[in-house]
Amino acid sequence: MIERLERFLAEVEPGRGARVVSYQPISGGYSRISARASIRWADGREETLILRGDPPAGSGVFVSDRDAEWELLGALPNLNSVETAPTRWYDSSGDYLGAKCIVMDSVDATSLQAVLADADDIGPLSDLFVDTFAAIHGSPLDPLPERMTRPSDWTSYLDGVLATYDQVAESHPSVAPVLRYVTSWAAGHRPPPVPLALVHGDCQPSNVLVSEAQPPIVIDWEFAHIGDPREDMGYYNQIPLLPNVYWSDSERFLARYRAATGMTEDQINPDVIDYFLIIGMATLYAQLVDAADAVAENQHPGILASYLINAISHQHDMFLSICDRQN
Amino acid sequence: MIPRPTTDQLIADVCQDLLDAVLPALTDETLQVRVAMAETILRNAALRAAHEIAWMTDETSALIEYAKAVNARIRSVDLTAALAEFDGSPRLSLHLADVVETYERASRAFAAALAAAQRDGIAELVDAARELLHDRVSTEKVVMATYAVVGR
Repeated sequence: MIERLERFLAEVEPGRGARVVSYQPISGGYSRISARASIRWADGREETLILRGDPPAGSGVFVSDRDAEWELLGALPNLNSVETAPTRWYDSSGDYLGAKCIVMDSVDATSLQAVLADADDIGPLSDLFVDTFAAIHGSPLDPLPERMTRPSDWTSYLDGVLATYDQVAESHPSVAPVLRYVTSWAAGHRPPPVPLALVHGDCQPSNVLVSEAQPPIVIDWEFAHIGDPREDMGYYNQIPLLPNVYWSDSERFLARYRAATGMTEDQINPDVIDYFLIIGMATLYAQLVDAADAVAENQHPGILASYLINAISHQHDMFLSICDRQN
Repeated sequence: MIPRPTTDQLIADVCQDLLDAVLPALTDETLQVRVAMAETILRNAALRAAHEIAWMTDETSALIEYAKAVNARIRSVDLTAALAEFDGSPRLSLHLADVVETYERASRAFAAALAAAQRDGIAELVDAARELLHDRVSTEKVVMATYAVVGR
């Protein structure tokens, strides 16, 4: 990989004589292949880069479009609502790095989840997390890439998400009973609508990098889309990494989010958060089930597919509990 | 066939070896995560191996009993077709692939019955289905009892 990266850097920065001093895979991501590389240029300058690439074709669980992510990363700075890690180059063909791969600057910051784990008082960090995502949800949509689908209205958007579950049920009989029950319930318990917004799609403190010197930086935009902003909040409600700031103090979390977004208590409350756990998980749930199916079809998508079968069961348990609580 | 150790015992023994001998010797963090995931999968597989045929057979009976009860009260083309498909399943066989095939056909019939009950708004049938779904998820939770997030 070191030789591949040196060839790529020679192509994108001809004449600068890049040498890769170290290359270290980063564990912890369940989706893309990430690595940290230390570079020394011919003039003696050194820097650290992050590589974020697709897993080999046919492997992995979660599917997303690297071209779309690259385009979005280019547009996000124009929103003036969120900081992202500076992007440098993109191997759009995978010819150099073996797969489509985005190369970014490494930022000197720590995962907010790690900071939360060491904090005595997580309240201010909860506020920071909420404010960061509320700002994303308040972003103007016009500067976003044209390829991002813009749903015509809230109702048709929600119908489309529920249809995703119906399609999964249609093609996977073993999960159909739970999904049929849950989607029928969800279709009949729609919360009040809110304006569609930029949704991050993997809203969790692990994807927020913090430091004293700069505003929070939000990473991992591969599942970003235009949808209901409450999907992010609902999605976070099922993230099991502790401390989960919503679980720790949901009233503070919700009050802060309402204040930042102007949403009413009818529009965002614990029941609505639960509802959007179901909605916010639709894409990833479908991919989890597809991956389990790939294992059953002997396609060998990799160990993560088998490991995350438990996550499907976990979702079923949460989905049914939500329906029970609100029946 | 040599029945003892049982399949779940064999898998549990491999898990122990992975934890005691393989994992401590690994220095590569990404490989440590993969082995930890493999150990979780194997532990779940041991649990399934010990009980899955009984679990699926028992649940199949309950699902079909429900589907037939709904079919007796509600006219549904999908449900009738799903029950006919179930009747053609290899339900007398205890080979795992056949049990799974039968279970999936029963699940389709149950889903069709539930859809019919929801469509007609018959609360007692929807409630009965919900109880069966809770039983199903309870079984899934037994398998995932030792699930922990690895590598994040």
